[in-house]
Amino acid sequence: MTTVAELNSGHMPQWCPGCGDFGILIALKGALAKLNISPEETVVVSGVGCGSKIPHFIKTCGFEGLHGRSLPPATGIHLANNKLTVVAIGGDGDGCGIGLGHFMHTMRRNLDFTYIIQDNEIYGLTVGQASATTKKGVITKSTPHGTPEDPINPPLMALSAGATFVARGFAGDIPHLTDLIAQAISHRGIAFIDCFQPCVTWRKDLPYDLYQKKCYKLEKEGHDTSNWDAAVARARETERWPIGVFYKIDKPIYTDQIPFIKDTPIAKQDISNVNIDKFVEEFL
Amino acid sequence: MAVVNRLNCKIGGAAGSGVAVLGALFAKCLQRAGLEVVATNDYPSLIKGGHNTHKIGASAEPMSAIVGRYDLLIALDKLTIELHAQELNEGGAIIYDSDKVKNAEELASRKDIMLVGSPLTQMAAKAGGEIMFNTVALGAAMGMMNVDFSIMEKLLTSIWARKGQKVIDANIAAARAGYDSVKAQNGSFRVQIQEIKGKKPQMFINGNEASVLGAVKAGCKFVAEYPMSPSSSILHLMAGHDFDYGIIVKQTEDEIAAANMIAGAGAAGVRAMTATSGGGFALMAEALGLMGIAEIPAVIFESQRAGPSTGLPTYTEQADLLFALHASQGEFPRVVIAPGDPLECYKEAINAFNIAEMVQTPVIVLLDKFLSEASLTIEDVRVIPAKVDRGKLQSDEQMEAQPGFKRHTFTEDGISPRSIYGQKNGMYVCSSYEHDETGFSSEAPDMRVAMIDKRAKKLKSIPDYIIAPSFSGADEAEAQILLVCWGSTKMPMVESLKLLAADGIKARMMHIRYASPFAARAVLSALTKAKKTMIFEGNSEAQMRTLILQKTGYHIENAYLRYDARPFKPEEIAEAAKKMLKK
Repeated sequence: MTTVAELNSGHMPQWCPGCGDFGILIALKGALAKLNISPEETVVVSGVGCGSKIPHFIKTCGFEGLHGRSLPPATGIHLANNKLTVVAIGGDGDGCGIGLGHFMHTMRRNLDFTYIIQDNEIYGLTVGQASATTKKGVITKSTPHGTPEDPINPPLMALSAGATFVARGFAGDIPHLTDLIAQAISHRGIAFIDCFQPCVTWRKDLPYDLYQKKCYKLEKEGHDTSNWDAAVARARETERWPIGVFYKIDKPIYTDQIPFIKDTPIAKQDISNVNIDKFVEEFL
Repeated sequence: MAVVNRLNCKIGGAAGSGVAVLGALFAKCLQRAGLEVVATNDYPSLIKGGHNTHKIGASAEPMSAIVGRYDLLIALDKLTIELHAQELNEGGAIIYDSDKVKNAEELASRKDIMLVGSPLTQMAAKAGGEIMFNTVALGAAMGMMNVDFSIMEKLLTSIWARKGQKVIDANIAAARAGYDSVKAQNGSFRVQIQEIKGKKPQMFINGNEASVLGAVKAGCKFVAEYPMSPSSSILHLMAGHDFDYGIIVKQTEDEIAAANMIAGAGAAGVRAMTATSGGGFALMAEALGLMGIAEIPAVIFESQRAGPSTGLPTYTEQADLLFALHASQGEFPRVVIAPGDPLECYKEAINAFNIAEMVQTPVIVLLDKFLSEASLTIEDVRVIPAKVDRGKLQSDEQMEAQPGFKRHTFTEDGISPRSIYGQKNGMYVCSSYEHDETGFSSEAPDMRVAMIDKRAKKLKSIPDYIIAPSFSGADEAEAQILLVCWGSTKMPMVESLKLLAADGIKARMMHIRYASPFAARAVLSALTKAKKTMIFEGNSEAQMRTLILQKTGYHIENAYLRYDARPFKPEEIAEAAKKMLKK
């Protein structure tokens, strides 16, 4: 049995007291424990940012890559060994700013792993600049006259790119988020969670109680998760903020198209003496 | 008197008109006749139109570059006659389509060559389709040289096998029509080909193809690549054989994704590679550093083209040497290998994958457009011993016996035992941050120094015999001059040594393959023992000369640099060496 205690890495997270990342970390551990997934066969992949330090605070395998680049190594790890559970995680700067191209392409591939954006609508680690999800008009260090452009809507992007599981969570509702992450990991295909993550240092205008006031649960309003148009409509809401599963469908996954890894992932295949006779003959 | 088994041929036409296909068939016919063949091409960055040429040299003796003027010109358009008729030897011939070109004599404007006009398109149509006009031209060319028709018949049968008997028959008929159409000239052409029998079958292969073959032999299992000339044929060839060899080939959204994907795959325990050119490699720079600090094995093939920026996309250059050596911020060990010909591409591809895992760091294989697309006959590579050495990669059994395993543990040679994801006791964070032995982030000054030192010393475990430069030509003691080159310049330089020897000049070649780690002692020894030294490079800044100076303190005074985006010719190397000796 995998327990939450077993998933403690022994390193104290270096986040600001009250940071939404604590809630996300607890929920991630809870989801892995709930699903009884072996930590040794789990890889948490991140980029660079406050939240991207998360691989050090959970006792699984980890890959702490470059800023904005959590998804390509996650893809490489998944394709190398599709028996592993892969969870890519990173901030809104990481995924919607510098890494937006990877975000869109990864969503359209229907690879079998989970991607969580820790969405606090600000660059935290670089001490408070507007991000791609910061709403228009917000004053930050880099936008003293207010953010001049409209934000990116991550669930809407994922839906438009063809993701087969799209959800939103809130770091302040840990039981709900735990359940969402468990659903995402269990989903066969790419699973995306946009996670509201209050930044208590740089976004004091977005406190926990505001999220609590604005958020509502999709599952409590009879939302049909198989209806893409309904999912898009919900994702576009701005007055109330929906959390829960927007969309979930079953589709063949990327690796279904690769017959030779059906039984053994490429990382476990024998390469000691590859027979190239047929290939050589093409050049004779 | 006819010349036997020594031919230079040029094929010219508009892009998309079949020059490349004809060139490949032509070269393959001569290879099947037992000759040594070299083929190179020249084309603009266009899909249709523009002027393309394919050059083929064939000889009974081993050869690695075309020397001298041409004997045969196959003109698929008027422009080819206009541009290249003057490059022919006396008694040379031009094969052209007499339906399309009515004024060949005027265009060629010389009387000492044969003008062989045949209705190529008409004959092709009669055989089954105008599209086969290049097969007709092939038949005509082979007929002129009296190549046994059965060689062509067998070749066309094997090439078109997957298209069915109908296509095979039509192509053979087209070749036969061309072959018979030149009966009148048969025997009077200055070059005649006599099949060399009893020779072991050789391979005819270019640098990109040989690199792929080496990678497959080395057990590469994952390829992530974004298309970029002149590396794209690596992607195509890998993608075309993915199911045969169990290789996952992923075309990515950009080169940043490609490099980061192979970093992930490498950490997960597969032999992974990407291929690109200078522009794409520039985008990979940050990921290169990630592989360096996180000690991830991966192989990057970089086929140089003329830069900077978009530059001359389909032309060659050797100007990314110092870039490959210094790309990415900070300091970390990397291996940079520049093979000199297709055979070395095969061998070094295998070395690259072995070294990447042995040293746990990125390996860059520097090709260039010339080498990527130059085809040579080489020995059947299956006779070359190829061993897969995975270094300190731990087996599942080994890992089970190692509780408390530290992925980046300090060792004498700096190389730590390596676990991969999914192994018992193997959990760690593979990190782009500086870290301690466990992989946990550390900014402590002592740890920083220890980790830099640990990583730096890893390259010392690569044996000297692997990185040593290679020599050919005159013996060290009697050589009048040492000619230095690296990468693809080897091919024309090997031929220049023969030209110099024919003129009574004893020249020796030093070809440097490993730019990092650098065989400083061996290189310095050769330079100091030489009577005169001269370096040849395909760039304007003499980048290898700079590297040699930096690594050995020896300054090679004489440099012959070519940076018009074209490869060296053997004749110009020989001329430059002679001129230098006269000084």
